[in-house]
Amino acid sequence: MKRAKRALIIGSFNRGRVLASALMKSGYKVTIIYNQLEKCKILSEIEGLTVIHGDESKPYILEDADAYNADLVVALSQKDEDNLIISELCKKKFNVKKTIAVLNDPCKTELFYKMGVDSVVCDVNAITNLIEQQVLYDGIVKNIPTGDGRINISELPILSGYTSVGKKLWEMRLPKEAIIACIIRGEQIIIPRGDSRIEIGDKLIVIATVQDEMAAIKELTGTL
Amino acid sequence: MKSNGSKSKEYVVIVGCGRLGAMIANELSDKSVDVLIIDRDKNAFRKLSPSFGGLSMTGDGADYKVLKEANIEHATSVIMVTNNDNVNILISQMLREKGINGEIIIRLYDPERRAVFDTADVDIISPLLLSFDMIKQKMNEAIK
Repeated sequence: MKRAKRALIIGSFNRGRVLASALMKSGYKVTIIYNQLEKCKILSEIEGLTVIHGDESKPYILEDADAYNADLVVALSQKDEDNLIISELCKKKFNVKKTIAVLNDPCKTELFYKMGVDSVVCDVNAITNLIEQQVLYDGIVKNIPTGDGRINISELPILSGYTSVGKKLWEMRLPKEAIIACIIRGEQIIIPRGDSRIEIGDKLIVIATVQDEMAAIKELTGTL
Repeated sequence: MKSNGSKSKEYVVIVGCGRLGAMIANELSDKSVDVLIIDRDKNAFRKLSPSFGGLSMTGDGADYKVLKEANIEHATSVIMVTNNDNVNILISQMLREKGINGEIIIRLYDPERRAVFDTADVDIISPLLLSFDMIKQKMNEAIK
């Protein structure tokens, strides 16, 4: 019989709790390590969840949490250095397959990847991007971040008055790192080419890097 | 510390002005080595002796911008002695990643954390292991 996958969630109460429930639903066996006893007691009331109270970045605590057999480790603490060392210990000492760490200081993203963290989630970046989109442009209906939050796939409805209306794709100067992957026109789905024309009522699926996304939307809408 | 005659060119950056950091800084300054010490808390610099002739800088040592301002590229040695092992490790790895070639020395209270280093290009000083070695030595002498 296949062994249930094991996940280790470290260093956050609220996010840890939500993530633990989600992972348990998808069949993981979850252990949480947290450093506040009171919060640990609350966590321990969740059925099926293993809770360990202790200093998260201590190797012996990780060993107690059976890090050797973990398939996934998520480091969610507030301190970047703790998350880095937790991930590194899990990767290098306990040979965990996949490590995910959240990060507050965006400047350190590269360092984290170089040190062997498999996936770095930059809290501040992800949240500010999200807020920026919500505040600056509420025309985007759906927005799916992917590629560790570096690429966004968004759905952009074309309204009258947008600069792109009636234009062919090659007439527009989209930034380098942005493409229109698809035009949805009613029931019709068009994979666009240079001579495809944008019409009112279309929905564009735009894939762009986070940096170029706003520029692309500006070029398509003329607003912002 | 390397002493190869050209002491005037030696430049040491110390991160963390605790008791150990301040002691090293005072000693180096007495030996007229160029030294700069960084701490987040400016009150920490009170531990430096009145005769301290080096530089002190208030800032977060884990922030590369601060280190850059401290002219870290030209440091012959960088010593991380904050009271947080994880910070010491993070800074040392960040410096190596940024291509800083100088000697790097860090203090680790918990020697087990050394597992995070792939290579031996960072010197790790562990008070625990040092005390253990010293006591073991004394014991052996006593037995003889």
